[in-house]
This record gives sequence, C-alpha cells and structure tokens, in this order.
Amino acid sequence: MNLVESILARASGRKSVEPGEIVIAEVDRMIMHDLSGYMTARVYDEKVSKPLKHPDRVIMVFDHLFSPPREQEAEVLKSGREWAAKYGIRLLDCGNGNIHNAVARNGFIGPGMVVVGSDSHTPVHGALGAFAVAVGNDCHAGMVFPHGKAWFRVPSTVRIELSGTLRAGTTPRDVALWLVSRIGEDGAVYKALEFGGPFIEALGLFDRWLFPLITVDVGAKCGYIEPDEKVFEFARAANAMQCWSGLEIAPRHERRPEAVLTYDVSSIEPQVACPPTVGNVKPVSEVAGKSVQWAEIGGHGGGRVEDIRMLAQVLGGKSVHPAVRLNVVPSSRAVFKQALDEGLVQVLHAAGALWFPPSTGSNQSVNMGAMAAGEAMISTHSRNFPGRNGSADASMYLGSALTVAASALRGCLTDVREML
Amino acid sequence: MSDFKFQGACWTVGDYIPTDQIIKSHRFFLPMAEIAKFVLEDENPRFAAGVQRGDVLVAGRHFGQSSGRAIAVKALQATGISCIVAESFARTFYRNAFEVGLPIVEIPGIGAAVREGDVLAVDVPGGEVAIERTGVALRGPRTDPFLLDMLRAGGVIAIGSRLAGSP
Repeated sequence: MNLVESILARASGRKSVEPGEIVIAEVDRMIMHDLSGYMTARVYDEKVSKPLKHPDRVIMVFDHLFSPPREQEAEVLKSGREWAAKYGIRLLDCGNGNIHNAVARNGFIGPGMVVVGSDSHTPVHGALGAFAVAVGNDCHAGMVFPHGKAWFRVPSTVRIELSGTLRAGTTPRDVALWLVSRIGEDGAVYKALEFGGPFIEALGLFDRWLFPLITVDVGAKCGYIEPDEKVFEFARAANAMQCWSGLEIAPRHERRPEAVLTYDVSSIEPQVACPPTVGNVKPVSEVAGKSVQWAEIGGHGGGRVEDIRMLAQVLGGKSVHPAVRLNVVPSSRAVFKQALDEGLVQVLHAAGALWFPPSTGSNQSVNMGAMAAGEAMISTHSRNFPGRNGSADASMYLGSALTVAASALRGCLTDVREML
Repeated sequence: MSDFKFQGACWTVGDYIPTDQIIKSHRFFLPMAEIAKFVLEDENPRFAAGVQRGDVLVAGRHFGQSSGRAIAVKALQATGISCIVAESFARTFYRNAFEVGLPIVEIPGIGAAVREGDVLAVDVPGGEVAIERTGVALRGPRTDPFLLDMLRAGGVIAIGSRLAGSP
C-alpha cells in the first residue's frame, strides 16, 4: 500500500484496501472556514439531530472575512462564533490567516491524518503527509459531525516525478502552474497524485505545499508528498505527530501506481494562468504587456514568507507603478511575524505596497479585491474564473510572486527575467 | 419515473463550468426558491427563466469544477430538473450530487449529440441516454450501487448512521 492506502486502511480498521473500494474511515480533522462553516452548521442544525461526536477534531477559521464590511457578514461571523461556542469547537477568528495555513501553522494537521474540509483546496495538506480531501456540507453534517467518520472511494494513484534545476526567474509556483496545463483540467479525475523525485525532495515544506494545492485543478481527489525529516521536524514542533503510527507503507519499488508521469523542470519559463480557467496557462513572455491595475500576494497558496521575500527582492529600493495597487496578505500570523523580523514589512511599505491582515485576501472578493469591468489583477491566488473578483469583464492572472512583483513595478504583465 | 429513469426536454451548457458560475457567491444568502432563479445566470440565461419540473440539464466536460460547495448542487436541484447528464463531472460536484440526492450520470459524447430542447430518456443506474429526435443512444459507466443506495435514501444524511455503523 502507498501512503493514502495505508492511511485509509488504518482509519477504516482494515488490514488493507484496494483502489476502487469504498471504505468508512475515522476522520482525524475536519476544517471549515467562515462561509462553508456557516452553511454546514445550518445543514446540521436543520437536518441532523445527533450530538457532535468529536468537537475536539473540528476547527473553524474565519478567513474570507477579516473584518465584516456589512451587517450581513457580521451576522455570518456572529452565528459562526455562537455555533462554535455551543458545540465546543475551536475557532480561529478573523486575522489568523487563510484556513489551510492557519490550521497547519497551529498544529492541527500532521502526517498520517485523515483530513476533510469543504474548501476545495483541502488536499493541500497532503504536503504534510495527510490524506486530505474536500467533501461537501451534507457529508460533514450527516457523517463527520455525528459519527466522526466519512465514506471514501480508495483512489488509484498517479506518481508525478519531477527532476531538474530551475532557471533564474522560475519558481516552484511556475512549475505547479505548468503541471496544470500538462495534466489538463480534467486530466486526473478521482486520482491521488503522489508528487516526488529529486526536485520535490529538495524543496522546503511551503514550496512543496504548491503541488498538492493544484490537485483540485486537474480533477484529482487528493495529492501528497511522502513525509520526510523536513516534515517531521515541522510536525514535531507543532505537536502533530499523533497519527503517524500503525501505517504499513510499502517501499516504493514494491508499489504499482496506475501511471508515472516524469517531467524535467529545467526548461520551464515563468508561467501565468490566464482567464477564464486555471488550466489556461501560458509563458508570461506570451502575454507580457497586458496592463494591470491590481497586484496581490495572498491566497491559499500565496502569502507565504517565501512569496514576500521574492516580492522584496524585486521591489526593494524601488516603487510600485503609480497605476497599480499592490496588496500583501500574509497567509498566517506566523508569516507576518517573520516578515516583520526580516525587515520585509518596512522594505515593501517603502516601495508602496499595502499590508492587509492575514486572511484569504481577495479570494472571491468577499472582503477585498473586487475589480471593475476592464480591470486586471496579477496575483498568487488559486482561482481566476470570470466574476470571482467583481465584474465578469475583469481579468485575473495567476503567477509567481516574482511575476507579481515585476508586473507591479512596470504596470503590466512582465517577465521577471528582464529584471534579473 | 421509477428507479431513476427520466424523460424530459434538455437545456445545454458548455465545458469546464465552475461552481462559481452555477450560482454566484453573492446569491448564497437568498432563500432557495430565489436562488433557483439565478442558476447558471451567465452561462445560459434561458435556463432559469424557462426550466420546467422534470427537465434535464446537459453539460460538457468537468462540470462543477473549482470550489466544492454543495450549494451549487442544491441550487440546481431547486430548479426542478430531474437529473444532469455531462461528459464528465468534477469529483466534488459528483460526490455532492449523490450526497444531496440529485441524480447525475456521465455520458461521453453527449455534448455533440444533443441540441437544446431535445427530449432525452435517461437511465441513471444503467448509464444510458437515448435522444428522441435522432434515435441515437449513448452509454457511459453504470452508476455504482453504493451511490444508487444513497440516491434512493435521498442523500447521505438519511443513511449516515447506517454507513457509520452506529445508532
């Protein structure tokens, strides 16, 4: 068995599982944000009349809203707080960061866990060696809350083996975007994606993060990287190793993934996902010159300290183009603290950047980030569908922090290699 | 119709439609009957205005991608459609549909074979669609018995205790 098969076997009390089987597994962690939490709570209160079995396993994070702009949103947060208090579940209130970074940074995710959440980027926790899957409100309300369990079809696994060395100006996020275009938006439906190879092994945890993050965009059920000492070190410090035992993972040469896709990253240029979908990925050089009014570091995969450092590397001592607003949204409080300690807050403030509270930033423009018709944004966000950020006639481009920085400086989509 | 076999006129939409476009997030707080009036408002404005109870929605590839919100399925259910036929579905949408009790079926080739308004006979358990106008019948994978069981119960909440093996 591979990592996800052994986790599912352990969690369902079976000796082994096979791809295609349906299992009922114990859930170790359930995460929900302000919007999904509100809807899940409503379904549970209206349709399920059983007590919440394991309140200690459920975490709610207010991340789309960092400060409610209207009464309606204030009511959503108020009802979320009341619900959390009523059932005794842990709440990370406004300003703690985006859901996935906040729960990982606060020690709620560890290797070997079964993690479910209604946010579609929940599979990102595969970076920590968890089996992490997005499931819907009714499953949370009807199975996870009252029974602490969920049903899963055991996925078949595709291994993605990456090797090579990045060119200057290309970052791990460019590789992840490039992979979406290679695999295709429905190229891996229902699969588990195992990311590995020397390129992945050399990355730090929050660069690895960007790979399980994209699994939803190629249709996959989950993605993961086998945890190694870097992950164990993070998980031990976070006191999150409790599910890393009782797993029977076969050595790699004994495993038979459904397919192995091998890629060399050495010739990949900086990439950008253009509207209307995440799969519409092109080299930045092909779309350079398109003017942008907004630039943002933030989102489920952005706002890492790695992103903020790249921004400072390009913008230090310079000024953001006068026609561009550059928003910086740290992914968690820990990241903001790190940016403070490293002097990055000062450097970027001087360059004209605007700092926002740790949150999901302009994701779905719930609290910020709406655009008028004809406007465009370059960001490290994960979604670019028309209408998600204000007008359906506005454009969202997704790229690396280096591309965001270079574009914010010039006022248009820019290949950062021209500045290196 | 009995055991998830349906007959109805169809409405069509294209490929790669995200849940954001099925129902926009600023509509979430409306009552469900109101939400139903805005389903697929940009993708096919005729649909919400003209849909009749028992109609069939036909979609392209990877329908319901992006955010895994169950409200996208519930909003479609609230329009009164009997089922959805698509080239393929995003996995969160697929799971949510069975979990809330909306029958759906994957039929490769359906997009090119139908015109909006065609009357379709859909067999969800058998994975088959027959198009009245052309006489063409198309096949996809049969629906898993586990998921049919969930549909018959009306969704996962009704059988949560049984699946979990606890009272």
